[in-house]
Amino acid sequence: MKYLLFLLSITLFIFQGCSTKQATPHLDNLQVKAPKTTTTPSQKSSNNDQNTEEDTAEDTAEFEAEFEAEETTNIIDPLSGYNRFMTSFNDKFITYALNPVSEAYAYVVPQPFRLGVSNFIHNIQFPIRFANNLLQLKFQNSSDELERFIINSTVGLAGLMDPAKNHMKIPIPAHNEDFGQTLGHYGIGSGFHVVLPFFGPSNVRDVVGITLDAYASPLVNVRGFENYKIPDNLGQSIGIATGDFINKNSLHLGEYESLKKDAIDLYPFLRDTYEQKRISDIAE
Amino acid sequence: MLKKVIMLLLLSVVSIYAIEEQNIKKVMDTKVRKVLLVLKDKTLSKQRKEQKSIRVIDDVFDYYTMSKISLGKRWKSLTKNEKTQFSNAFEKKIKHSYLDKLRLYNNQKVIIKDLKKIKHNRSTLETQIIGLDDTYKVIYLFYKKKQNNHWYIYDVNLVGVSIIQTYRKQFSEFLKTKSVKQLIESL
Repeated sequence: MKYLLFLLSITLFIFQGCSTKQATPHLDNLQVKAPKTTTTPSQKSSNNDQNTEEDTAEDTAEFEAEFEAEETTNIIDPLSGYNRFMTSFNDKFITYALNPVSEAYAYVVPQPFRLGVSNFIHNIQFPIRFANNLLQLKFQNSSDELERFIINSTVGLAGLMDPAKNHMKIPIPAHNEDFGQTLGHYGIGSGFHVVLPFFGPSNVRDVVGITLDAYASPLVNVRGFENYKIPDNLGQSIGIATGDFINKNSLHLGEYESLKKDAIDLYPFLRDTYEQKRISDIAE
Repeated sequence: MLKKVIMLLLLSVVSIYAIEEQNIKKVMDTKVRKVLLVLKDKTLSKQRKEQKSIRVIDDVFDYYTMSKISLGKRWKSLTKNEKTQFSNAFEKKIKHSYLDKLRLYNNQKVIIKDLKKIKHNRSTLETQIIGLDDTYKVIYLFYKKKQNNHWYIYDVNLVGVSIIQTYRKQFSEFLKTKSVKQLIESL
Protein backbone atom coordinates (compact mmCIF):
# COMPACT_ATOMS: atom_id res chain seq x y z
CA MET A 1 0.00 0.00 0.00
CA LYS A 2 2.71 2.41 0.97
CA TYR A 3 4.55 1.46 -2.13
CA LEU A 4 1.50 2.20 -4.26
CA LEU A 5 1.10 5.63 -2.74
CA PHE A 6 4.70 6.37 -3.43
CA LEU A 7 4.32 5.36 -7.05
CA LEU A 8 1.18 7.42 -7.38
CA SER A 9 2.81 10.51 -5.99
CA ILE A 10 5.72 10.10 -8.35
CA THR A 11 3.49 9.77 -11.39
CA LEU A 12 1.48 12.75 -10.26
CA PHE A 13 4.64 14.73 -9.84
CA ILE A 14 5.84 13.82 -13.30
CA PHE A 15 2.59 14.71 -14.97
CA GLN A 16 2.43 17.96 -13.17
CA GLY A 17 5.78 18.80 -14.63
CA CYS A 18 4.32 18.32 -18.07
CA SER A 19 1.26 20.41 -17.58
CA THR A 20 2.86 23.55 -16.28
CA LYS A 21 4.36 24.34 -19.66
CA GLN A 22 1.10 25.96 -20.72
CA ALA A 23 1.26 29.54 -21.84
CA THR A 24 -0.76 31.11 -19.08
CA PRO A 25 -0.23 34.79 -18.62
CA HIS A 26 0.63 35.69 -15.06
CA LEU A 27 -1.83 37.97 -13.49
CA ASP A 28 0.62 39.44 -11.05
CA ASN A 29 2.59 41.06 -13.82
CA LEU A 30 -0.47 42.95 -14.87
CA GLN A 31 0.02 45.34 -12.08
CA VAL A 32 3.10 46.84 -13.60
CA LYS A 33 2.52 50.51 -13.13
CA ALA A 34 1.84 52.40 -16.24
CA PRO A 35 4.00 55.44 -16.73
CA LYS A 36 2.15 58.35 -15.27
CA THR A 37 2.29 60.93 -17.93
CA THR A 38 0.64 64.27 -18.07
CA THR A 39 -0.62 63.96 -21.55
CA THR A 40 -2.87 66.59 -22.90
CA PRO A 41 -5.49 65.48 -25.36
CA SER A 42 -3.72 67.25 -28.20
CA GLN A 43 -0.90 64.77 -27.93
CA LYS A 44 -3.04 61.99 -29.27
CA SER A 45 -1.33 61.22 -32.48
CA SER A 46 -4.13 61.72 -34.92
CA ASN A 47 -4.96 65.34 -34.34
CA ASN A 48 -1.74 67.14 -33.69
CA ASP A 49 -0.63 67.79 -37.20
CA GLN A 50 -1.63 71.41 -37.45
CA ASN A 51 0.53 72.89 -34.75
CA THR A 52 3.73 71.04 -35.48
CA GLU A 53 3.93 70.93 -39.23
CA GLU A 54 7.55 72.18 -39.37
CA ASP A 55 8.64 69.88 -36.65
CA THR A 56 7.29 66.83 -38.41
CA ALA A 57 8.79 67.83 -41.76
CA GLU A 58 12.18 66.93 -40.36
CA ASP A 59 10.81 63.66 -39.01
CA THR A 60 9.21 62.89 -42.33
CA ALA A 61 12.50 63.31 -44.15
CA GLU A 62 14.14 60.98 -41.67
CA PHE A 63 11.48 58.31 -42.10
CA GLU A 64 11.62 58.75 -45.84
CA ALA A 65 15.37 58.12 -45.89
CA GLU A 66 14.96 55.11 -43.63
CA PHE A 67 12.33 53.43 -45.74
CA GLU A 68 13.87 54.31 -49.07
CA ALA A 69 17.12 52.66 -48.07
CA GLU A 70 15.34 49.39 -47.40
CA GLU A 71 13.21 49.44 -50.49
CA THR A 72 13.64 46.33 -52.57
CA THR A 73 14.44 47.31 -56.09
CA ASN A 74 13.26 44.66 -58.46
CA ILE A 75 11.72 46.81 -61.11
CA ILE A 76 12.81 44.40 -63.82
CA ASP A 77 10.04 41.88 -64.03
CA PRO A 78 10.15 40.36 -67.50
CA LEU A 79 7.88 37.49 -66.55
CA SER A 80 5.16 39.65 -65.01
CA GLY A 81 2.51 38.42 -67.47
CA TYR A 82 3.22 34.77 -66.77
CA ASN A 83 3.70 35.48 -63.06
CA ARG A 84 0.33 37.13 -62.80
CA PHE A 85 -1.30 34.17 -64.46
CA MET A 86 0.55 31.72 -62.21
CA THR A 87 -0.38 33.71 -59.09
CA SER A 88 -4.05 33.48 -59.88
CA PHE A 89 -3.64 29.81 -60.79
CA ASN A 90 -1.99 29.14 -57.42
CA ASP A 91 -4.62 31.21 -55.69
CA LYS A 92 -7.39 29.08 -57.18
CA PHE A 93 -5.45 25.94 -56.45
CA ILE A 94 -5.12 26.91 -52.77
CA THR A 95 -8.73 28.01 -52.42
CA TYR A 96 -10.44 25.18 -54.28
CA ALA A 97 -8.12 22.22 -53.90
CA LEU A 98 -5.46 22.53 -51.21
CA ASN A 99 -7.58 24.15 -48.52
CA PRO A 100 -10.62 21.87 -48.76
CA VAL A 101 -8.37 18.81 -48.77
CA SER A 102 -6.34 20.12 -45.84
CA GLU A 103 -9.49 20.95 -43.90
CA ALA A 104 -10.86 17.46 -44.39
CA TYR A 105 -7.49 16.03 -43.43
CA ALA A 106 -7.32 18.23 -40.34
CA TYR A 107 -10.80 17.11 -39.39
CA VAL A 108 -9.90 13.44 -39.57
CA VAL A 109 -6.34 13.50 -38.27
CA PRO A 110 -5.74 14.89 -34.78
CA GLN A 111 -3.36 17.78 -34.45
CA PRO A 112 -0.63 16.05 -32.40
CA PHE A 113 -0.27 13.50 -35.15
CA ARG A 114 -0.03 16.19 -37.82
CA LEU A 115 2.57 17.98 -35.77
CA GLY A 116 4.48 14.72 -35.52
CA VAL A 117 4.49 14.34 -39.28
CA SER A 118 5.65 17.91 -39.67
CA ASN A 119 8.44 17.39 -37.14
CA PHE A 120 9.46 14.16 -38.80
CA ILE A 121 9.81 15.76 -42.21
CA HIS A 122 11.62 18.73 -40.75
CA ASN A 123 14.05 16.45 -38.97
CA ILE A 124 14.80 14.34 -42.00
CA GLN A 125 15.67 17.41 -44.02
CA PHE A 126 18.48 18.11 -41.63
CA PRO A 127 21.20 17.71 -44.31
CA ILE A 128 19.95 20.81 -46.15
CA ARG A 129 20.16 23.02 -43.07
CA PHE A 130 23.41 21.51 -41.87
CA ALA A 131 25.15 21.88 -45.24
CA ASN A 132 23.98 25.43 -45.78
CA ASN A 133 24.89 26.63 -42.32
CA LEU A 134 28.34 25.16 -42.90
CA LEU A 135 28.62 26.70 -46.36
CA GLN A 136 27.84 30.08 -44.83
CA LEU A 137 30.44 29.41 -42.12
CA LYS A 138 27.80 29.58 -39.41
CA PHE A 139 29.48 26.99 -37.25
CA GLN A 140 27.43 27.54 -34.12
CA ASN A 141 24.25 27.04 -36.12
CA SER A 142 25.58 23.90 -37.79
CA SER A 143 26.49 22.41 -34.45
CA ASP A 144 23.04 23.36 -33.13
CA GLU A 145 21.49 21.59 -36.10
CA LEU A 146 23.65 18.52 -35.59
CA GLU A 147 22.73 18.42 -31.93
CA ARG A 148 19.06 18.80 -32.76
CA PHE A 149 19.25 16.02 -35.31
CA ILE A 150 20.90 13.62 -32.86
CA ILE A 151 18.56 14.42 -29.97
CA ASN A 152 15.37 14.47 -32.02
CA SER A 153 16.21 11.33 -34.00
CA THR A 154 16.76 9.34 -30.84
CA VAL A 155 14.90 10.74 -27.85
CA GLY A 156 12.43 12.41 -30.19
CA LEU A 157 11.39 9.06 -31.68
CA ALA A 158 12.94 9.39 -35.13
CA GLY A 159 12.07 13.06 -35.28
CA LEU A 160 8.37 12.78 -34.52
CA MET A 161 8.88 15.02 -31.53
CA ASP A 162 11.08 18.01 -30.99
CA PRO A 163 12.56 17.59 -27.50
CA ALA A 164 15.61 19.64 -28.48
CA LYS A 165 13.40 22.70 -28.60
CA ASN A 166 10.62 21.83 -26.19
CA HIS A 167 12.19 19.86 -23.37
CA MET A 168 15.73 21.15 -23.00
CA LYS A 169 16.71 23.55 -20.29
CA ILE A 170 18.17 25.81 -22.92
CA PRO A 171 16.16 25.13 -26.08
CA ILE A 172 18.15 24.55 -29.23
CA PRO A 173 16.42 26.42 -32.03
CA ALA A 174 16.37 25.28 -35.63
CA HIS A 175 18.31 27.39 -38.12
CA ASN A 176 16.56 27.22 -41.43
CA GLU A 177 19.00 27.80 -44.23
CA ASP A 178 18.71 26.70 -47.82
CA PHE A 179 20.91 26.93 -50.90
CA GLY A 180 19.08 30.01 -52.13
CA GLN A 181 20.11 31.77 -48.93
CA THR A 182 23.67 30.51 -49.27
CA LEU A 183 23.88 31.92 -52.79
CA GLY A 184 22.45 35.19 -51.52
CA HIS A 185 24.88 35.18 -48.62
CA TYR A 186 27.76 35.22 -51.09
CA GLY A 187 26.33 38.20 -52.90
CA ILE A 188 24.45 36.55 -55.74
CA GLY A 189 21.50 38.71 -56.70
CA SER A 190 17.96 37.39 -56.80
CA GLY A 191 17.50 37.69 -60.56
CA PHE A 192 13.99 38.24 -61.77
CA HIS A 193 10.92 37.04 -59.99
CA VAL A 194 9.32 33.74 -61.00
CA VAL A 195 6.09 32.33 -59.65
CA LEU A 196 6.28 28.55 -59.61
CA PRO A 197 3.20 26.40 -59.96
CA PHE A 198 2.14 25.09 -56.54
CA PHE A 199 5.26 26.35 -54.77
CA GLY A 200 4.41 30.00 -55.22
CA PRO A 201 6.71 33.02 -55.40
CA SER A 202 10.38 32.46 -56.15
CA ASN A 203 13.17 33.99 -58.20
CA VAL A 204 15.95 32.78 -60.45
CA ARG A 205 18.44 32.42 -57.62
CA ASP A 206 16.01 30.52 -55.44
CA VAL A 207 15.00 28.17 -58.26
CA VAL A 208 18.67 27.21 -58.51
CA GLY A 209 18.65 26.92 -54.72
CA ILE A 210 15.61 24.63 -54.70
CA THR A 211 17.27 22.37 -57.25
CA LEU A 212 20.40 22.09 -55.11
CA ASP A 213 18.24 21.52 -52.03
CA ALA A 214 16.59 18.60 -53.83
CA TYR A 215 20.02 16.96 -54.11
CA ALA A 216 20.65 17.37 -50.39
CA SER A 217 17.15 16.36 -49.29
CA PRO A 218 16.63 12.66 -48.58
CA LEU A 219 13.01 13.08 -49.65
CA VAL A 220 13.55 13.80 -53.34
CA ASN A 221 14.87 11.03 -55.54
CA VAL A 222 17.78 11.94 -57.80
CA ARG A 223 19.44 9.47 -60.12
CA GLY A 224 22.84 8.34 -58.85
CA PHE A 225 21.99 9.04 -55.21
CA GLU A 226 19.65 6.08 -54.69
CA ASN A 227 21.32 4.81 -51.54
CA TYR A 228 20.85 8.08 -49.74
CA LYS A 229 17.32 8.83 -50.88
CA ILE A 230 14.10 7.50 -49.38
CA PRO A 231 11.79 7.55 -52.45
CA ASP A 232 12.79 5.25 -55.31
CA ASN A 233 11.15 7.13 -58.11
CA LEU A 234 9.59 10.42 -59.09
CA GLY A 235 6.09 9.23 -58.22
CA GLN A 236 7.09 8.52 -54.65
CA SER A 237 8.88 11.85 -54.35
CA ILE A 238 5.78 13.64 -55.52
CA GLY A 239 3.68 11.58 -53.13
CA ILE A 240 5.84 12.57 -50.17
CA ALA A 241 5.89 16.22 -51.24
CA THR A 242 2.10 16.28 -51.61
CA GLY A 243 1.61 14.70 -48.22
CA ASP A 244 3.99 17.17 -46.65
CA PHE A 245 2.23 20.03 -48.42
CA ILE A 246 -1.22 19.08 -47.17
CA ASN A 247 0.02 18.30 -43.68
CA LYS A 248 1.88 21.60 -43.43
CA ASN A 249 -1.08 23.53 -44.78
CA SER A 250 -3.43 21.87 -42.28
CA LEU A 251 -1.38 23.46 -39.51
CA HIS A 252 -1.64 26.90 -41.08
CA LEU A 253 -5.23 27.08 -42.24
CA GLY A 254 -6.59 30.57 -42.72
CA GLU A 255 -3.20 32.25 -42.86
CA TYR A 256 -3.11 32.64 -46.61
CA GLU A 257 -6.58 34.20 -46.66
CA SER A 258 -5.61 36.56 -43.90
CA LEU A 259 -2.48 37.62 -45.75
CA LYS A 260 -4.38 38.02 -48.98
CA LYS A 261 -6.67 40.59 -47.42
CA ASP A 262 -3.73 42.97 -47.00
CA ALA A 263 -3.20 43.10 -50.72
CA ILE A 264 -4.55 45.71 -53.05
CA ASP A 265 -3.19 43.81 -56.03
CA LEU A 266 -2.29 40.23 -55.21
CA TYR A 267 0.63 39.54 -57.53
CA PRO A 268 2.90 42.53 -56.71
CA PHE A 269 1.95 42.16 -53.06
CA LEU A 270 3.06 38.54 -52.86
CA ARG A 271 6.11 39.29 -54.97
CA ASP A 272 7.32 42.13 -52.76
CA THR A 273 6.52 40.29 -49.57
CA TYR A 274 8.48 37.29 -50.78
CA GLU A 275 11.50 39.31 -51.87
CA GLN A 276 11.52 41.26 -48.59
CA LYS A 277 11.33 38.08 -46.60
CA ARG A 278 14.18 36.47 -48.53
CA ILE A 279 16.39 39.52 -48.07
CA SER A 280 15.84 39.41 -44.34
CA ASP A 281 16.39 35.63 -44.26
CA ILE A 282 19.69 36.04 -46.07
CA ALA A 283 20.81 38.86 -43.80
CA GLU A 284 20.16 36.76 -40.71
CA MET B 1 -17.78 36.91 -10.33
CA LEU B 2 -15.44 38.66 -7.93
CA LYS B 3 -12.53 37.50 -9.99
CA LYS B 4 -14.03 39.11 -13.05
CA VAL B 5 -14.58 42.38 -11.25
CA ILE B 6 -11.04 42.46 -10.01
CA MET B 7 -9.76 41.71 -13.46
CA LEU B 8 -11.85 44.46 -14.98
CA LEU B 9 -10.52 46.85 -12.40
CA LEU B 10 -6.98 45.82 -13.15
CA LEU B 11 -7.53 46.25 -16.85
CA SER B 12 -8.95 49.69 -16.45
CA VAL B 13 -6.10 50.88 -14.22
CA VAL B 14 -3.51 50.22 -16.84
CA SER B 15 -4.46 52.75 -19.41
CA ILE B 16 -1.62 54.43 -21.10
CA TYR B 17 -1.35 57.35 -23.42
CA ALA B 18 2.28 57.06 -24.34
CA ILE B 19 5.41 55.27 -23.38
CA GLU B 20 8.60 56.54 -21.91
CA GLU B 21 11.77 54.93 -23.07
CA GLN B 22 12.63 52.92 -19.99
CA ASN B 23 9.12 51.54 -19.96
CA ILE B 24 8.79 50.31 -23.52
CA LYS B 25 9.49 46.71 -22.67
CA LYS B 26 7.36 46.69 -19.55
CA VAL B 27 4.41 48.38 -21.17
CA MET B 28 4.53 46.18 -24.26
CA ASP B 29 4.75 43.15 -22.03
CA THR B 30 1.61 44.19 -20.17
CA LYS B 31 -0.14 44.99 -23.40
CA VAL B 32 0.66 41.65 -24.95
CA ARG B 33 -0.51 39.87 -21.82
CA LYS B 34 -3.68 41.89 -21.78
CA VAL B 35 -4.49 41.10 -25.38
CA LEU B 36 -3.83 37.43 -24.73
CA LEU B 37 -6.08 37.52 -21.69
CA VAL B 38 -8.83 39.12 -23.72
CA LEU B 39 -8.44 36.54 -26.46
CA LYS B 40 -8.55 33.67 -24.01
CA ASP B 41 -11.57 35.01 -22.18
CA LYS B 42 -14.36 32.70 -23.24
CA THR B 43 -17.09 34.88 -21.74
CA LEU B 44 -16.57 37.63 -24.29
CA SER B 45 -18.24 37.73 -27.65
CA LYS B 46 -16.09 38.02 -30.73
CA GLN B 47 -16.98 41.65 -31.19
CA ARG B 48 -16.18 42.58 -27.61
CA LYS B 49 -12.88 40.77 -27.88
CA GLU B 50 -11.97 42.79 -30.92
CA GLN B 51 -12.98 46.09 -29.39
CA LYS B 52 -11.07 45.34 -26.25
CA SER B 53 -7.88 44.21 -27.91
CA ILE B 54 -7.89 47.23 -30.18
CA ARG B 55 -8.29 49.50 -27.19
CA VAL B 56 -5.28 47.93 -25.51
CA ILE B 57 -2.90 48.63 -28.34
CA ASP B 58 -4.41 51.82 -29.71
CA ASP B 59 -2.33 54.32 -27.81
CA VAL B 60 1.09 52.96 -28.73
CA PHE B 61 0.49 52.89 -32.45
CA ASP B 62 1.00 56.16 -34.25
CA TYR B 63 -1.39 55.60 -37.13
CA TYR B 64 -0.92 59.10 -38.46
CA THR B 65 2.81 58.70 -38.86
CA MET B 66 2.28 55.25 -40.33
CA SER B 67 -0.01 56.55 -43.00
CA LYS B 68 2.40 59.38 -43.73
CA ILE B 69 5.30 57.01 -44.27
CA SER B 70 3.22 54.61 -46.28
CA LEU B 71 2.42 57.28 -48.84
CA GLY B 72 6.01 58.46 -49.07
CA LYS B 73 6.66 61.51 -51.17
CA ARG B 74 3.09 61.76 -52.30
CA TRP B 75 2.02 62.74 -48.80
CA LYS B 76 3.11 66.35 -49.30
CA SER B 77 0.89 66.79 -52.31
CA LEU B 78 -2.22 65.91 -50.35
CA THR B 79 -4.58 68.58 -49.06
CA LYS B 80 -5.24 68.74 -45.35
CA ASN B 81 -8.61 67.18 -45.88
CA GLU B 82 -7.20 64.35 -47.94
CA LYS B 83 -4.55 63.73 -45.32
CA THR B 84 -7.12 63.24 -42.60
CA GLN B 85 -9.29 61.13 -44.84
CA PHE B 86 -6.40 58.99 -45.90
CA SER B 87 -4.99 58.48 -42.43
CA ASN B 88 -8.40 57.57 -41.10
CA ALA B 89 -8.94 55.05 -43.87
CA PHE B 90 -5.45 53.67 -43.37
CA GLU B 91 -5.93 53.39 -39.63
CA LYS B 92 -9.07 51.38 -40.24
CA LYS B 93 -7.28 49.18 -42.72
CA ILE B 94 -4.41 48.44 -40.33
CA LYS B 95 -6.73 47.70 -37.45
CA HIS B 96 -8.80 45.44 -39.60
CA SER B 97 -5.75 43.55 -40.74
CA TYR B 98 -4.52 43.27 -37.16
CA LEU B 99 -7.84 41.89 -35.98
CA ASP B 100 -7.85 39.47 -38.82
CA LYS B 101 -4.48 38.13 -37.70
CA LEU B 102 -5.72 37.92 -34.12
CA ARG B 103 -8.52 35.68 -35.24
CA LEU B 104 -5.92 33.10 -36.13
CA TYR B 105 -4.69 33.17 -32.56
CA ASN B 106 -4.66 29.72 -31.13
CA ASN B 107 -2.99 29.62 -27.75
CA GLN B 108 0.44 30.53 -29.01
CA LYS B 109 2.96 31.73 -26.50
CA VAL B 110 4.43 35.18 -26.94
CA ILE B 111 7.90 35.99 -25.70
CA ILE B 112 9.17 39.51 -25.40
CA LYS B 113 12.86 39.54 -26.20
CA ASP B 114 15.16 42.52 -26.12
CA LEU B 115 14.79 46.17 -26.72
CA LYS B 116 17.48 47.56 -28.98
CA LYS B 117 18.31 51.19 -29.31
CA ILE B 118 19.09 51.93 -32.94
CA LYS B 119 19.79 55.62 -32.45
CA HIS B 120 18.68 58.42 -30.17
CA ASN B 121 15.12 58.44 -31.49
CA ARG B 122 14.69 54.88 -32.73
CA SER B 123 14.26 51.62 -30.83
CA THR B 124 13.13 48.18 -31.78
CA LEU B 125 11.49 45.56 -29.61
CA GLU B 126 11.83 41.97 -30.69
CA THR B 127 9.13 39.49 -29.79
CA GLN B 128 8.63 35.87 -30.67
CA ILE B 129 5.43 34.01 -31.27
CA ILE B 130 5.81 30.32 -30.67
CA GLY B 131 3.51 28.71 -33.18
CA LEU B 132 2.60 25.08 -33.60
CA ASP B 133 5.53 24.07 -35.71
CA ASP B 134 7.43 27.27 -36.11
CA THR B 135 8.60 30.37 -34.30
CA TYR B 136 7.76 33.75 -35.75
CA LYS B 137 9.75 36.85 -35.15
CA VAL B 138 7.78 40.05 -34.76
CA ILE B 139 9.67 43.30 -34.32
CA TYR B 140 7.99 46.51 -33.22
CA LEU B 141 9.69 49.67 -34.39
CA PHE B 142 9.45 52.67 -32.10
CA TYR B 143 10.31 56.29 -32.65
CA LYS B 144 10.53 59.11 -30.18
CA LYS B 145 8.13 61.93 -30.75
CA LYS B 146 9.84 65.25 -30.33
CA GLN B 147 6.90 67.11 -28.87
CA ASN B 148 6.50 64.94 -25.82
CA ASN B 149 9.51 62.65 -25.77
CA HIS B 150 7.32 59.59 -25.80
CA TRP B 151 7.73 56.52 -27.90
CA TYR B 152 5.30 55.30 -30.50
CA ILE B 153 5.20 52.40 -32.91
CA TYR B 154 5.61 53.44 -36.53
CA ASP B 155 6.12 50.04 -38.13
CA VAL B 156 5.85 46.34 -37.39
CA ASN B 157 8.13 43.80 -38.92
CA LEU B 158 6.53 40.37 -39.28
CA VAL B 159 9.00 37.56 -40.00
CA GLY B 160 11.26 39.92 -41.87
CA VAL B 161 8.56 41.77 -43.75
CA SER B 162 7.90 45.38 -42.88
CA ILE B 163 4.20 46.13 -42.95
CA ILE B 164 4.60 49.79 -43.78
CA GLN B 165 7.17 49.05 -46.48
CA THR B 166 4.71 46.65 -48.07
CA TYR B 167 1.99 49.30 -48.08
CA ARG B 168 4.42 51.86 -49.45
CA LYS B 169 5.13 49.67 -52.43
CA GLN B 170 1.49 48.91 -53.01
CA PHE B 171 0.41 52.52 -52.74
CA SER B 172 3.10 53.83 -55.05
CA GLU B 173 2.16 51.17 -57.59
CA PHE B 174 -1.51 52.06 -57.25
CA LEU B 175 -0.91 55.81 -57.55
CA LYS B 176 0.99 55.36 -60.79
CA THR B 177 -2.28 54.81 -62.56
CA LYS B 178 -4.93 56.03 -60.15
CA SER B 179 -5.69 59.00 -57.93
CA VAL B 180 -5.42 59.46 -54.17
CA LYS B 181 -9.18 59.66 -54.00
CA GLN B 182 -9.53 56.24 -55.57
CA LEU B 183 -6.93 54.93 -53.14
CA ILE B 184 -8.86 56.21 -50.15
CA GLU B 185 -11.98 54.59 -51.52
CA SER B 186 -10.28 51.27 -52.10
CA LEU B 187 -9.07 51.19 -48.52
